[in-house]
Amino acid sequence: MKSSRNVMTFAGGIHPHGDGKSLTCYTPVQNAPLLDKYFVILAQNAGKPPIPVVKKGDRVKKYQLLAAADGAVSANLHSPTSGIVSNIRDIQGTHGVPTSAIEISADGLDEADSPFAPIPDWRHADVDILKQRVIEAGIVGMGGASFPTHVKLSPPEGKSVDTLILNGAECEPYLTADHRLMQEFPEKVIRGAAILGRILNIGNIFVGVEINKLDAIAALEHYAGDYGVKIAYLRVRYPQGSEKQLINAITGRTVRSGTLPMDSGCIVQNVATCAALDDAVTLGIPSVERIVTVTGEVVVKPGNFKLKIGTPALEAVRFAGGITEEPGKLVFGGPMMGFAQRSFQVPVCKNTSGILLIPQKQAYNFESSGCIHCGRCVQGCPMNLVPCLLSTAIEAGRFDLAAENHIMDCMECGSCAYVCPDHRPLIQNVRHAKAELRKQMNASKEK
Amino acid sequence: MTFYTALVIMGLLGLTLGAIVGVFVKLFKVEQDNRVELALELLPGANCGGCGRAGCADFARALAAGEVTPGNCPVSSVEQRAAIAMALGIDAGPIEMQQAVVCCRADIGAEEMNYNGVQDCNAANLVAGGPTTCRYGCLGLGSCARVCPFGAIEIVGRVAVVHPELCTGCKQCAKVCPRNVIKMVPANANIHIYCNSPEKAAIKRSLCAAGCIGCRKCEKLLPGKIKFDGMLAQIDYDSPDAITQEDIEKCNCPVHGIMSEKERYAVAKNAASGGKRA
Amino acid sequence: MKYLELTVGAVLVYNFVLSRFLGICPFLGVSKRLSTAMGMSGAVIFVMALASCITSAISNYLLEFTIAGTVIKLDFLRILLFILVIAALVQLLEIMMQKLTPSLYRALGIYLPLITTNCAVLGAATINAESGRNVLDSTIFGAFSGVGFALALLLFSSIRERLELAVPPKAFEGTPIALITAGILAMAFTGFAGLC
Repeated sequence: MKSSRNVMTFAGGIHPHGDGKSLTCYTPVQNAPLLDKYFVILAQNAGKPPIPVVKKGDRVKKYQLLAAADGAVSANLHSPTSGIVSNIRDIQGTHGVPTSAIEISADGLDEADSPFAPIPDWRHADVDILKQRVIEAGIVGMGGASFPTHVKLSPPEGKSVDTLILNGAECEPYLTADHRLMQEFPEKVIRGAAILGRILNIGNIFVGVEINKLDAIAALEHYAGDYGVKIAYLRVRYPQGSEKQLINAITGRTVRSGTLPMDSGCIVQNVATCAALDDAVTLGIPSVERIVTVTGEVVVKPGNFKLKIGTPALEAVRFAGGITEEPGKLVFGGPMMGFAQRSFQVPVCKNTSGILLIPQKQAYNFESSGCIHCGRCVQGCPMNLVPCLLSTAIEAGRFDLAAENHIMDCMECGSCAYVCPDHRPLIQNVRHAKAELRKQMNASKEK
Repeated sequence: MTFYTALVIMGLLGLTLGAIVGVFVKLFKVEQDNRVELALELLPGANCGGCGRAGCADFARALAAGEVTPGNCPVSSVEQRAAIAMALGIDAGPIEMQQAVVCCRADIGAEEMNYNGVQDCNAANLVAGGPTTCRYGCLGLGSCARVCPFGAIEIVGRVAVVHPELCTGCKQCAKVCPRNVIKMVPANANIHIYCNSPEKAAIKRSLCAAGCIGCRKCEKLLPGKIKFDGMLAQIDYDSPDAITQEDIEKCNCPVHGIMSEKERYAVAKNAASGGKRA
Repeated sequence: MKYLELTVGAVLVYNFVLSRFLGICPFLGVSKRLSTAMGMSGAVIFVMALASCITSAISNYLLEFTIAGTVIKLDFLRILLFILVIAALVQLLEIMMQKLTPSLYRALGIYLPLITTNCAVLGAATINAESGRNVLDSTIFGAFSGVGFALALLLFSSIRERLELAVPPKAFEGTPIALITAGILAMAFTGFAGLC
């Protein structure tokens, strides 16, 4: 293994210039004022959405359980504030389709009543109790995938995991939520990592941080020694924060096609997830708020805000001082992998790391004339795929050919589309083909 | 002399080769279902692929194997279907002719969003639920027109319109449509209701000027001919008493949603050429 | 050395499809998929080798012989006899393939019985007879002509699989662009001219 003083990276990828991080990375995280209404979407985790345990008209306290996990791959949901459940209805979800949500009318008291107690002595606590806490607190991956964390914490029999990697790369342009979190709450991150290490019985813990966040690295290093955590310096390169690329950069291992990081003996967690875990264990509060970067050139005062789950995007933008001109696009997440939203009413979820407003002049229409197979996308692809071939195959309707060429290994990082000189919609094609292939797979399963 | 030798040589060689081929035929005998041949003879033989199979021969094999019914061949006539079913001794299944209808008036109704991606309905529908405000309406990017083996679908402005005289009811378009806005109706029906949104009237009204608002006026005026599915009026195609042009005028739909195919095409053309919005 | 000349000549220099322009029908007909093209190639190699062997035996021993002092020349029967042999061979092949590889049989469809009228097969047999080769030489020539055909077919079908993804101007879609590609491929093969 390489020494942690080296700056590590992976093959492929791109370097987005003008990454827009300076808009928000120097201002401290601000607390958001209390709102009248919060819309807590049920399906906030990958897998099955939880089932509501409250009904319309119920009075709830802050941190009270709103919906209970349905099965193993599901996560609990808690109330972000105290108030009355005014409705349970379908609202506009983060993926464009209506989704069920619990509407909470806040009473303005923000009265807390946590369903569980802190575990200050986590170093000696039973591992099962800690694991149980992860499940109770409804912690999901806050980097974007929103995969329930407790599932990752129970590796199946026969798989040995020896390395825990914390993902603090934050390679997406514009986003600085993790950066500010590491800089302002380094102990939370490091302690969360140590708790995870105790649950998994792993001593080999790394925090991978890109070297454009030297202030955050300095803050982390102050605590790292106390908890036996190592800091890995990463080169500034997109998508450095992708699970497989991170593992490759830090340990030199390759996660093979069709296998999980676990198969390579690694578990990757986002730093925000670790901070939420630390809150759940040492403070005894569930995951109901997160740091969100509200940014974009058209935002008056872009910055990072501690937002409660269920805050509509419109209110979040209002906290940031509103807008100077009509934006062209509203994106949840970063500009590379984020999802464009239909409406400003879409609320913040546990995996919303950023609310990005793209100016109209950047969200312009372009026309592509056709692939000339220049191969820039092949150079940029961190997964060693051939995006130009995939894209042309998909456009010709040959989804089988795309599948043959490992389209399912594509993580839709957008490096290929970023470097394409013809602005071809490579990622949209990939998503289209993946959806079609899944449809075909389901159809053949039914038969 | 030459003539006789030639005769002998040709004859002998012919006999020998014939014998060898004969032996091989016996040796490598393949049991063939003669029903396949029979079905192939009765099928239209257009090899259009409308059934979703690789040509008529493949369809004939599937017929004999019981995987499909004669009705799955979209271009055959009702008589042909019945004949095939009888000849093969299989269940005829549904044999009435069908046609596709795009039940949407996006051309004059729902607003579009700023979308600049792949010009394919299925791909567009994945982006934040699609680029139209109404989530049930036609996207107008022409996936159905591209998949139609008979060129029966035309994209008029922002909406797909089926030409009933070309449509054979092969269902390819209905299968590919991500919005399920293409409905299969009896081929002899001529008047349809052009809305597909089950949303509540208020929501629909805010999104689209041409959506069925569920006022139930048509249901009251034309009992038995029109039924309601939630908030959406639907023509009862099973009704023995078919809806007529006079009926349309009689109920005078407030959003002008009940139309004949001919009128629908004219309206779409008008809207596409910058005509007045309804 | 003689055999090297014979084989290289058959495969590359005088390639049946791309230099002599024989057997164009299956070359265009079954080159849409690489897998089908491979099946077709195998079938053609088999027929060409066997047909060359038998026809060369016929032309060497049956078409010109002496009975009781009189020389009998049956050259006018050549094409007739060759076609008879080739047709029988293709029939055999068809019967066998239907039994052994039904899926390939279905994929090849009409092009399998059409090997009978594949002028490459008859061409190989005729060239053998014209140049007065013995049975062994003819068989080798036939087999490697088949290999040459296979090479052309495999190259072309691989190109066509990629061509399917390309977006040529509307007028060139489908067969036109395939024909142009075949032309360019044939031009490339002229580079082997003069090798032997």
